[in-house]
Amino acid sequence: MDSRGVPLDSSPWLSRGAIVTLLTGLLVTTALAVTTLLLYDQNENRLLGLRAKELGLVLSAAVLPTQTKLASGAALADATAGSVTRFRALIEPDVGPGRQFISASLWPIGAGRPSGVVGAPPRLSTAQADDLFSRARHTHTLSVLGLLNSSRPGLGYAFSPPRSEKGFVVYAETLVPANRRSRLESNTAFSDLDYAIYFGHSRRAGDLLVTSLKSLQITGRRAAASVPFGDRTLTLVVTPRGSLGGSFFRALPWLVAAFGLALSALACLLSDRLVRGRREAEQLAENLDHLAAENELMLTEQRSIAQTLQHALLPETVPEVRGLKVSARYVAATSGVELGGDWYDVVAAGEHRALLIIGDVSGHGLRAATTMASLRHATLAYAAADARPAAILGRLADYVNGSSHDYFATVLCALIDVEAHHMTLASAGHLPPLLLVNGDARFLEMTAGAPVGVAGESRYEEIGIDVPGKATLLAFTDGLVERRGEIIDTGMTRLREAAAGGALGLEELVEMLPRRLASDGHHDDTAIVGIEWQN
Amino acid sequence: MAELDDGPAELSIETVPGPTPVIRLSGELDSSNVGRLEATVASVLKAPPERVVFEMSELRFMDSAGISVLVRLAAEVEQVEIRDPSPIIRRVIEVTGLTGVLQVEP
Repeated sequence: MDSRGVPLDSSPWLSRGAIVTLLTGLLVTTALAVTTLLLYDQNENRLLGLRAKELGLVLSAAVLPTQTKLASGAALADATAGSVTRFRALIEPDVGPGRQFISASLWPIGAGRPSGVVGAPPRLSTAQADDLFSRARHTHTLSVLGLLNSSRPGLGYAFSPPRSEKGFVVYAETLVPANRRSRLESNTAFSDLDYAIYFGHSRRAGDLLVTSLKSLQITGRRAAASVPFGDRTLTLVVTPRGSLGGSFFRALPWLVAAFGLALSALACLLSDRLVRGRREAEQLAENLDHLAAENELMLTEQRSIAQTLQHALLPETVPEVRGLKVSARYVAATSGVELGGDWYDVVAAGEHRALLIIGDVSGHGLRAATTMASLRHATLAYAAADARPAAILGRLADYVNGSSHDYFATVLCALIDVEAHHMTLASAGHLPPLLLVNGDARFLEMTAGAPVGVAGESRYEEIGIDVPGKATLLAFTDGLVERRGEIIDTGMTRLREAAAGGALGLEELVEMLPRRLASDGHHDDTAIVGIEWQN
Repeated sequence: MAELDDGPAELSIETVPGPTPVIRLSGELDSSNVGRLEATVASVLKAPPERVVFEMSELRFMDSAGISVLVRLAAEVEQVEIRDPSPIIRRVIEVTGLTGVLQVEP
């Protein structure tokens, strides 16, 4: 047997469906991860901006203690008419190494030099002093001066009370770390930030006040804020040391990506297995279909051989008898491939006479078919000697009974006189024929003798009937009427009703009746033969 | 092979031995299972009785293969009696002209 089925799929490569699943999974994962990353980024930027503002407020507030101290000194000077002793007593505790100021001095306005100095001498030039003090007198806040380009960089502060009667300016200096490195360690709220604070609006290294950074080159996220510092401005640049939103959110995009990857891989493997399973099932089904088709083909071939053989055993053509129309059909059983034992013949028996013979050998198969063939030829031989039906059947029964046999056969003979419109019939266990006259249908009433091949008496009764013009006689085998589980009269009634009406000619009846009556999968073969008077 | 798609029909054969053996058939008898009846008949014929009775009240269907067995048996023994056949089977025996060969009771 040709097994043309395709070998089952064992390709090591992923199926197309699985690859599509994988790519879809990767795409979705990437989109989710990128979205998460963008959200994280946006959130970090927002948090950093908030932190920068908070830090700015803290820085801005840092100017207040200085302003308070200097304002106190100025107010005291005003009140004491510039008493240096009182000023010194007030300011001295805050001046010196490690204290708030390294230098503090009291300047009468317009004097050009201080009237009293505590700590280091003031480092501002005359021009710087004029400018700073002028600013101090016109503002209510602290005036600030950068003293950054020196070996001891620092800031200078000047304060003059508003509406000062005598006119004093208090001036003080602080130092910034020489390397500008500093941490606002005390302020733990900002321990997660690095920062750089510049004096003024610029971010030049020369204007740097303090920083927690080793390098001012900030890469990555940063935020800047301008912070009012007295009458000047500080520029604050911050950068986060880690994730402001927490390490979980920082890891979230990667978690999403990892989870998505794992899920995609899993989905890919699952769909690969599904696709392979389906493909295997389809291939199996295809192979099965193929086998079934081959079986069907073999069966059809065998049936066709059987039918060819059967038709070879039956008469090729029906004889032409003047005044008589003859038609016959043989229909093989639809199931199975075996030969049947049904046969028929219509032969001329002298002038104006024809002999119709139909028979059915019990059983199926080659044995029944060969038995049929020998019975058929024996019948024709006896008919040639004596065409009377009862004589034919009697001789046939003697012939069969005289030999060893294990079958029986039903046979019907009808001798038709075309001109006289007369028939003589005899039956060896065969079903009676149907007579159609002017649309009316009836089975001929006749007593059947025993089938040939059955032990016992081999005498048959004949009946003779006259038929009117244009009558039709249909003889058939039991395959046409017999149905399992049904009394045979029901099938015969069905045949009678189907044939009645007179609308159909002989040829159409013989063609239509087996097709219509044996429609539900008949297990038996069927022969039908009919004659019709033409006038 | 006539019953290619159906497999053997359901048939039960029960034999009561004796001077007149009784073979009780129930179910359906056709070409797919007629071989079992042939074997039963062959064993009955080892000591050929004068009469064989087939009890058929439970047999729903019998085709020409079954009739063939009965007809062959009728050639070997004096009498084959068919007891209580269904109308279907009774009618088959009638139309086949076998009433003179097989004795149908009642």
